[in-house]
Amino acid sequence: MRRLAWLWIFVVAVVGLVLPVSAADKPVRGYESLGVVAGKQGGRLTMILGDSPPSFFYYGVIDSNLQALSQHLYDGLVEYNYRTYELEPALAEKWTISKDGRLYTFYLRRDVKWQDGRDFTADDVVFTFDQIVTNPEARAGDAGAFMVGGQRVRFEKVDTYTVRLTLPRAAPATLQYMRLYIMPKHKLLPHSVEGGAKPVDINSAWPTTVDPREVIGTGPFRLQAYVPGQKVTLVRNPRYWKTDAGGMRLPYLNQIELLIVRDPEQQVAQFLAGNVGQLNLSGAQFPDLKSRQQAGAPFKVISSRTLFGSPPHLAFNFDARNPELARLFSDLRWRQAMQMAVNRQRIIDDVYNGLAELPGHGVAPISSWYFDTRSFLGKFDLQGAARALDELGLRTGPDGVRQLQSGRPLEFTLTYGTDSAVWPPIATILQNDLKQIGVKVNLQGILSRTLLSTGLSGNYEALLLAFGDQPDPELRKPIWQPGGALYYWHRTTQPATPGGEPNFAAMQPWERQVYDIWETGGTTVSRPQRKALYDKWQVLFAQNLPVIMIAKPMAVGAIQNRYGNYLYSLGVIPGYNPVPLIFQK
Amino acid sequence: MTEAVPAVPSPPSSVWRRFRRSGPGVISAGILLLLYAAALLAPFLAPYSLVEQHPDLIHQPPQRVHIIRDGRLVRPFIYPMVRKRDPITFVASFAEDRSRPLPIQLFERGDTYSLFGARMDRHLFGVKGGTLFLLGTDAFGRCLLSRILVGSQVSLTVGVVGVAISFAIGIIVGGVSGYYAGVLDTLIQRLIEILLSIPRLPILLALATVIPAAWPSGYVYVGIVAVLSLIGWAGLARVIRGQVIAMRQLEYVTAARASGLRDLRIILRHIMPNLSSYLIVTATLALPGYILGESALSFLGLGVKEPMASWGLLLRDAQNFRALRLYPWLLAPGALIVISVMAFNFVGDALRDAADLQSV
Amino acid sequence: MLWFVARRVLLMVPALLAISALVFAVIQLQPGGFLTQYLEDPRFSPQTVETIKRQFGLDQPPHIQYLRWIQGIVTRGDFGYSFLNGRPVGSLIWERLGWTVFLAVLTIACTWLIAIPLGIYTALRPRGTAATIVNLVSYLGQAMPDFLLALLLIALVLSRGGANVGGLFSPDYIGAPWNWARLRDMVAHLWIPIAAISLEGVAGLMRQMRAQLLDVLGADYVRTARAKGAPERTVVWKHAVRNAINPLISLAGLSLPTLISSTILVSIVLNLPTIGPFLYDSLLNKDQYVVTTLLLFSSLLLMVGNLLADLALAWMDPRIRYQ
Repeated sequence: MRRLAWLWIFVVAVVGLVLPVSAADKPVRGYESLGVVAGKQGGRLTMILGDSPPSFFYYGVIDSNLQALSQHLYDGLVEYNYRTYELEPALAEKWTISKDGRLYTFYLRRDVKWQDGRDFTADDVVFTFDQIVTNPEARAGDAGAFMVGGQRVRFEKVDTYTVRLTLPRAAPATLQYMRLYIMPKHKLLPHSVEGGAKPVDINSAWPTTVDPREVIGTGPFRLQAYVPGQKVTLVRNPRYWKTDAGGMRLPYLNQIELLIVRDPEQQVAQFLAGNVGQLNLSGAQFPDLKSRQQAGAPFKVISSRTLFGSPPHLAFNFDARNPELARLFSDLRWRQAMQMAVNRQRIIDDVYNGLAELPGHGVAPISSWYFDTRSFLGKFDLQGAARALDELGLRTGPDGVRQLQSGRPLEFTLTYGTDSAVWPPIATILQNDLKQIGVKVNLQGILSRTLLSTGLSGNYEALLLAFGDQPDPELRKPIWQPGGALYYWHRTTQPATPGGEPNFAAMQPWERQVYDIWETGGTTVSRPQRKALYDKWQVLFAQNLPVIMIAKPMAVGAIQNRYGNYLYSLGVIPGYNPVPLIFQK
Repeated sequence: MTEAVPAVPSPPSSVWRRFRRSGPGVISAGILLLLYAAALLAPFLAPYSLVEQHPDLIHQPPQRVHIIRDGRLVRPFIYPMVRKRDPITFVASFAEDRSRPLPIQLFERGDTYSLFGARMDRHLFGVKGGTLFLLGTDAFGRCLLSRILVGSQVSLTVGVVGVAISFAIGIIVGGVSGYYAGVLDTLIQRLIEILLSIPRLPILLALATVIPAAWPSGYVYVGIVAVLSLIGWAGLARVIRGQVIAMRQLEYVTAARASGLRDLRIILRHIMPNLSSYLIVTATLALPGYILGESALSFLGLGVKEPMASWGLLLRDAQNFRALRLYPWLLAPGALIVISVMAFNFVGDALRDAADLQSV
Repeated sequence: MLWFVARRVLLMVPALLAISALVFAVIQLQPGGFLTQYLEDPRFSPQTVETIKRQFGLDQPPHIQYLRWIQGIVTRGDFGYSFLNGRPVGSLIWERLGWTVFLAVLTIACTWLIAIPLGIYTALRPRGTAATIVNLVSYLGQAMPDFLLALLLIALVLSRGGANVGGLFSPDYIGAPWNWARLRDMVAHLWIPIAAISLEGVAGLMRQMRAQLLDVLGADYVRTARAKGAPERTVVWKHAVRNAINPLISLAGLSLPTLISSTILVSIVLNLPTIGPFLYDSLLNKDQYVVTTLLLFSSLLLMVGNLLADLALAWMDPRIRYQ
């Protein structure tokens, strides 16, 4: 990581010699392989916002629309490289990490201005983390990320442009959290404890009725106007601290409009009518739009492999209410048989229209942390699955349904989300294939938003769900570490009290192994050592199938031909925002 | 306030005679009879089961039935379809395999089903050694015609069951309220006013979200019918009360009371029959509301769920631009919703005219 | 008269209380809670859940939550707090009320302006081709789910290369100052929702108008007027139509709240900035004070509409007297 930072300093230095850019600016370069070219200044891009933002204060509400809006307004100290997904300097020009991994020093970029002209300094950084992010009453804060081993991380201002973090012990994921957006102290002080307010008051900063001039960041665009329920308008920040490869100041676009459109079909209609410049698509929408493109429509449909995005999985409840099913589901041979009965190719072809790939195990195949586990996925083989079930002693009854040892029919309920283009077809395909090997699946459709809470409540037998992939495995620890808060398929591993020791007695041997890997990984500083640990975890995952991964969807997006430099982005990942590169031809 | 004027019912025989003279009414009644008969015999009429998937024939357009082969008239036959996918757009296209004509067989064997308690495996028609999708297939290669037929069992009964429930409540509550008057009447009237003051669709949605997700689809069906009819009874009860109040004064009712008949018996046996034509007309005109209500709930994903089917649920697959452009046959359930609702309205209006009940 | 109005207004208070309690109870029955949607977010620890519950008063039993809410309304005119939006409910509704009322009034006006003449026409010329077509279209309009019609209309506009596929304005004109171009743009967008929403209403109202008029035309006094030799025009317009419209007035009172709440589906399909989709979102997210307030408000509108209709009826029809 440090090597990369030094590399950047080197690049900046070289560029600084060649081109007349301020030392504070960050040139965005090295993306020729992604098709990025030099753009021109001007123009306007209209995009979709799925609903009205509930607030303009990023840390006040967890809301995807607010996140999509905020990425244009703010920056973090570090951000992702668009190609490698590695962290690189953003508001921090460089950083150092002490050998023991406990001391982080961030050297801030000089001459960065808030959009109202004030200087951006270390005070803003310390204020953001001290008063907002780690305020436990902030509804979208992240106090938990800065509690290491039960103690708080300390933030200090060393000088105007230097900030130091002191950790109780090494926690390499901390750097990931430095993507969090930095907020202006001079605007938000009155809402903070430091400014004399109650801790909970921070949530009421910047409601959507606020004067847009009050909402300022360091980002490429600033808020200009909001028409409730209809549109958010952003204008170019002429003082932004990034330039393109040729030294021209970014962003290229003069204006971004975010049109508030809830209904997915209405979003498509607005795009087809040309009112909207860019649209994220699902695999099911691809053939229609792609064939319109082939027929000469003025837009391009692009599909690309992506790190982000949520690969669906099939989970069996190890603690199902029916003890006979619980015993069966905890048996690896059952889950192996089920994996053989998952027709991944058909799901990829028919549900995703071919726009998906074989899944990784907890890590996206495009990620540098990925370990190739494809050989563990096996082939779709119903006969093999049937044989495996025979060996488990599940004999077929007279009505073609297998029987459990007790003589009851082998049937289970599969819970899935009805309001999605993905869950219903996957559920139906599974039901159909399993029926052929004598396993009766009863489908139970619920609203997608309640899938996870159903999983966490333990009140299900089998469940289809997806968790998003992240650039660093550590960010998904609560999901994949046995006993973690979101490890929902084996709830008995949960600690008796929140934050306490997990229930090791309930863990299967491989789960204990995985648990230990996560514990070690969370404090290991060396990247190669961490990689080795997470490789081992991915293999254990693929062999023991806590859940059965189904597919990794590609990102599909459409953009009108009048725009250039479109890199696909889901738009809600802090630290990954390629919009400043987009230009109007 | 003005009280409802008691309907002056015409004798049923003359109503029937006049109804038969209404062209659209009779045609619509015929259509409805056909639809209900089809729903009753759905598993027999449907060539495939509700859930049978054909992964190779996803989104197949309706198949053409041929009757002329080599210039000669032959018994109806089809050609099997072959699916190809455009390598770039992934749009599927289908072509007929002309080398293999498959005659359509009557009483063809298919999967087993139970009809009127008997287990059968004969279907009205089908083909051997291939597939026959007269209305095309959906995203899983399931036969749309079969799904529409089986789905009609839900869509066409939601209304009947719902109307039955709301009428049962409406008649009893309205009858009791009108018959007894006094404090009970006032209380019931207040309750009805409150129920009528709650806007219909929002409370319908609120109640639909209460139906537990864990319920199997059969229960969800019952839940939806209950929700729809719970909202429907209040208006009816109010009108019936008005009619009962007016009728209470009529001679034969006073006579029945004098002869010591039980009150409920008087309401049900002496007052209601006189309202029968009124009730029938109201019921006919109320039915479409249930069909449309079910489709609205399905549109929002709050209606009946897979693996059950209803027209509203099937129509959901067509409510997007890709379907309108690439798979327009998926709109067929929508056409059936429109046809059945129109037919109910035509029949209801014709009945109303025939019974001379302009106030309904 | 005044006494009648006062009594009706007073009666609304217990009714509204009962409605709010009923709606609140229904929302409490909904499975899940406002917070369930956030559980996947790594920032959401069990402690956060507890904190937010406490902040919102969700740790109290439901009846306490309800009583506190009522107390807020009565003592401070405060309709509670939207969990989803982190703002008072009142201001959120206010924000959306303008366009909602505008659309509702416009749709009612269009419905009446189209339906009444058509109803008169089909009553007077029941056998013509035009009447048959109008009839058929009205039946079709009643049978077509409004969300499907809205979608088909968008598809039609799209296939003809139009850009007015939803919303009230093109993106350029949202929030722009009023001028002729903006008005034109709005009209180009407005016809779709108005057509989709009012078609069903037109069909119903038209047929009611026709039935009433046919009834009145057969009445004794109309025959008398004819017998007296009054010109047909006077008979129809002065005697028949006026009397036939009266009973329809009570319908107008009913239509205002329905237009606010039952345009939910069309508003979702057409992306209209009205209360409907807002209510639906709040319902799904169990944003309890928003839902209860909105339903309370719609119910109030319905009651007021009923009252106004009764008064209008009394004013139009001298036979009706209220004591």
